[in-house]
Amino acid sequence: MKKTLLDLTVNGESRSFAVEGHRSLLDALREEGGLTGTKKGCDVGDCGACTVIVNGQPVNACLMLAIEAQGAEITTVEGLQASPDELHPLQEAFMEHGASQCGFCTPGILIMAKCLLDENPLPTDEEIRFGLSGNICRCTGYTKIFDAIRSAGKRMAQQGVEA
Amino acid sequence: MTKQDFRIVGKSVKRADVIEKVTGEGKYTGDYHLPGLLHGKIKRAEIAHARITRIDVSKALAYPGVKAVLTHHDVPKVLHYGSPHPRSASCTKDQYILEDKVRFWGEGVAAVAAVSEEIADEALDLIEVDYEPLPAVYDIDAAQAPGAPQIHEVGPGGNLVIPPVHIERGDVEKGFAEADLILEGEFEGGRPVPTYMEPNVCVADWDGSNKLTFWTSTQTSFMVRGALAEVLGLPLNKVRVLVDHMGGGFGAKQDLFQHEFLCALLARKCRRPVKMEFTRRETFIAGRSRHPFRMWLKQGFRKDGTLVARDMKVIYESGAYGSHSPGVTNVGTASATSLYRCENVRLDGRAVYTNTPIAGAYRGYGVVQTYFAIDIQMDEAAEKLGIDPAEMRLRNAVREGDIAPSGHPIVGRGLEACISHGIEAFGWQAKRGADRGVAGRPSVRRGWGIGCEMHGSSAYPGIKEQGNATVKMNEDGSVTLLTGAAGLGTGAHTALAQIVAEELGVTFESVHVVHGDTDVVPWDIGAFASHTTYLVGSAARMAAAELRERVLARGAEKLQEKVENLEMVDGIITARDKPGTSLTVHEAMGPSRGIPAEHLIASGSYMPTKSYSFAAHFVEVEVDTETGIIECRTVVPVHDVGKVIHPIAAQGQIEGGIQQGIGHTLTENYVIDRTNGRSLNAGLVDYKMPLSMDMPDIRTIILEAAPDPGGPWGAKGVGEDPIIAIGPAIANAVYDAIGVRFHHYPITPEDVLNGLRARKKELQDAGI
Ligand code: FES
Ligand code: FES
Repeated sequence: MKKTLLDLTVNGESRSFAVEGHRSLLDALREEGGLTGTKKGCDVGDCGACTVIVNGQPVNACLMLAIEAQGAEITTVEGLQASPDELHPLQEAFMEHGASQCGFCTPGILIMAKCLLDENPLPTDEEIRFGLSGNICRCTGYTKIFDAIRSAGKRMAQQGVEA
Repeated sequence: MTKQDFRIVGKSVKRADVIEKVTGEGKYTGDYHLPGLLHGKIKRAEIAHARITRIDVSKALAYPGVKAVLTHHDVPKVLHYGSPHPRSASCTKDQYILEDKVRFWGEGVAAVAAVSEEIADEALDLIEVDYEPLPAVYDIDAAQAPGAPQIHEVGPGGNLVIPPVHIERGDVEKGFAEADLILEGEFEGGRPVPTYMEPNVCVADWDGSNKLTFWTSTQTSFMVRGALAEVLGLPLNKVRVLVDHMGGGFGAKQDLFQHEFLCALLARKCRRPVKMEFTRRETFIAGRSRHPFRMWLKQGFRKDGTLVARDMKVIYESGAYGSHSPGVTNVGTASATSLYRCENVRLDGRAVYTNTPIAGAYRGYGVVQTYFAIDIQMDEAAEKLGIDPAEMRLRNAVREGDIAPSGHPIVGRGLEACISHGIEAFGWQAKRGADRGVAGRPSVRRGWGIGCEMHGSSAYPGIKEQGNATVKMNEDGSVTLLTGAAGLGTGAHTALAQIVAEELGVTFESVHVVHGDTDVVPWDIGAFASHTTYLVGSAARMAAAELRERVLARGAEKLQEKVENLEMVDGIITARDKPGTSLTVHEAMGPSRGIPAEHLIASGSYMPTKSYSFAAHFVEVEVDTETGIIECRTVVPVHDVGKVIHPIAAQGQIEGGIQQGIGHTLTENYVIDRTNGRSLNAGLVDYKMPLSMDMPDIRTIILEAAPDPGGPWGAKGVGEDPIIAIGPAIANAVYDAIGVRFHHYPITPEDVLNGLRARKKELQDAGI
């Protein structure tokens, strides 16, 4: 099948992949890009495990064709850290609060939470709940995820960290 | 050892595996990509009961990109278990990899390997299958009706998976004769599915020596190894099963699945690695659910609330294959000997085949069902006798010395502690006295309810279990723990590392856990039955204790001190009465007598019986009498888990279990069309789970009320408990709110509205 060359900026790095027209952005990132941090929980837009940031917006990567992302700037969970030995405050908080159990939902939720905090550094509990309404976590009961996002938001606001 | 003496156990240390989860570096089975990888797909039957009269794969084979197709003509004919626990009476051999018969809609009838998923999918449509339809049964009643079509040739007949389980103690008739109140009721429950976020996936690769390397998302890698070896006719050392990170399992990833065999066979046929990944839809159709059930329960009580007789018949719907039904039936039935003490019990448990998807192991394993009924009837009795529901439970709670379902005496008074503590923490008395109305929302009623449970850590006596661990000290003093226990997301490996570090006297950070490779780690029975911390934890502690002796012996030699005089804390060996005399484990491990490094390795094996954990859940619900919607607002779960190893991980188990339990009670039901066996809601939109917007305020309380001598420092299990108590607590709270009793789950808005209507009519007819 005919392949198209796709040029992207992924986690700050220019990447080109040859992809078939029907390829989802999720499969392109995972298979052509080798970025397996982003997960596939359903492949039909129902679970949020595949959430990545495309040009500043959270997107279900399973619902987007890779070629639609031509020229886009993409952030995946692998791009959350400012440097290899420095975790993002959200990552720190998820570890500290036990917000990740099996971890399969975690990359998508971290990305979603980053988008949430970027817009609204000190969200209310209702805003956090609403912000995560498209992300399924089946392990944690969400309690500790809410705790982690709240505490990361506070920490970031205090330190003036850009999320 | 007193509480203050713990340095690592009991602390919420950072889980070492979570760093990989938050950075996206952790490898799950689906993340493995091998050169030359092919993709496997399964052709699924669109009929629930039929004989295959013709299957033609020629067009599929000729399709460009297809490398192999398998049908029942091409696979080994070995009758095997779905639930491959060795040393267990609770197994039923009733499955072939592929057969010329279909027993449920969605069962695999052929498999394809191709160069891409899309091509494999397209090839499935080119496989032609002719079926001769057979009469089918889609529920418990139809399966048990006289003259019902038989689904299996094996088994005791009558569509039973195993002969009925019968338990009798005391004298039930005498008990009922002494009762002041006798209640009788029927209960039933739907088909919740575990819905782990990682769909089942495996990758098979054969090497030139005819050895199979098999990555799979399983809780029971050694069982998978055993079953694959048996069916493929290989010695165990020719099958290597690997599992790294897992995206959940909740019990259901401990079957030997059809796709796992097919993946291995396709890879062998193609001489190339093959990956098979379930779609979300397939996790419903070909995964495992909880057993739908029907139960009849009759109990007798004295005026003071004392339970004096219990007569029970429970029927579990197994679906098309036996899978875990023998275990579920045994455990579920036996569970009714306990929770509330009763000397006179007569229990009958059955599992029946139907032409529906397979029910298997799922957190709460048969007990969710029986305790739902028992705890609702307890509430009914309390009301009839004019006793407070919490008080009623306190009066009947099992306690020290009572005989547990396993036949062992109960240790401690854990259940009473949970109930009493919860009454205070929840403010039970004040709440039950409060107004059921909600200011400003005239259609809404509030209610409060309680539910209790107990659950065993370990599958004993059904399975004679064994936990193993190996601990090595490297020449720099760092420690490696080898365990076969799977890491399905609970934090078990962290708990094991904590136990080793504590016992050995080194820092938590110096222990590294190696797991998930059957060629390397000690044999393991699998991660299930809430037993990893209890069982493998004890083995790890034994191994660490032995290693400690040997390290101290080296230290003694170097320090010229007596071993008895030495202690080891945080990796430093010190002479007790000589503060200056010390050395690090690294120094102790250094070259000695010209030998560069000692082979310092110790193993522990532990065969437990069983301990029981306890819980009481207190909930507040709001019921909208106009929409019928039930909202669970607050849960105060109080759990006794013995010694807590990692508080945050234990809380996480409880909160996640509550999430699933709320779903089962209110919204979750995988629905099968009872006219043709088709799946009606096999997807995450139509199968409704509680998500971020739906979760109540959960205020978890963990007590260390009844430590069990069988676990490390008294630790017991926690994985399954929370999902059991929440269901009846919600149903009881709903009754408290609107005065309508429900004997089933899920309790849908429609049920609520119908129930309110019926109650209104009842009251009118009674002239109230
Ligand atoms: S994988 Fe994209 S939403 Fe589930
Ligand atoms: S941690 Fe397992 S799904 Fe969220």
